[in-house]
Amino acid sequence: MRSELNELALIDSYLFRQLDQQQNQMVETSVLLSEAFARKVEAQRTAHRLIRLYGRNEQRRRLENIYQQLLSEPAFANQLKSWI
Amino acid sequence: MTTQNDDPIIGLYRECFPDFARMIRRMGGNLEQAKDSFHDALLIYLEKEKAGALCLHASPKAYLLGTARICWLRSQNSNPPLPLPEGFEPADPQDSDTEETERTLLASLQKSGKKCLELLRAFYYDHRSMQDIAERFGFKGRRSATVQKYKCLEKVREEIKTSLCAVN
Repeated sequence: MRSELNELALIDSYLFRQLDQQQNQMVETSVLLSEAFARKVEAQRTAHRLIRLYGRNEQRRRLENIYQQLLSEPAFANQLKSWI
Repeated sequence: MTTQNDDPIIGLYRECFPDFARMIRRMGGNLEQAKDSFHDALLIYLEKEKAGALCLHASPKAYLLGTARICWLRSQNSNPPLPLPEGFEPADPQDSDTEETERTLLASLQKSGKKCLELLRAFYYDHRSMQDIAERFGFKGRRSATVQKYKCLEKVREEIKTSLCAVN
């Protein structure tokens, strides 16, 4: 992989706490010494958060579809009858 | 291929939700609140299961009902807020301005690169193996899929950097 992609992999390992102590210190030192590298780390952390948000949104959509599907089953709907 | 009917989540839903809805009614809640809290609990259950971090000391039903009850109590502004199950990270940042910025950013990423987001979700959220991802997305092998995953991550990261620079 080209060096930029290797750097992404390294930052991933740092953010997921998969580095040994020496590698971890190396990344933390780079964060302190290089503003550009620090911005990459923060943006990658945000990317992970956005991917999780995307995953959860999709999962919630799937659960809503399941709920609507089950409401069309009389046996299920009857159990919620007093509310529907 | 898994069909909707043999999806284990549908079975769990069918088995657990009516009991949970009755519980919430007894506690003074409504059906919409019951559904929202139940979905929160299912989300926690599914995420922990995919991450291999689901430690069940009772049945899945008992776990779901207990977690859903906590989610409902949290939604009722319990003070102090009840803790979420161990290992579950809330996706949303605390600051509402940041939350709004990130929602806008996600909407823009969905427009510009849905396939990349799907690939990244498969790895980072669904915890699928690179081999599985290679097959699902039609890559030659694990290595091509890994390279593509990092290219997608790089693209998303660059959009985030640009967007955050514009905000600050």
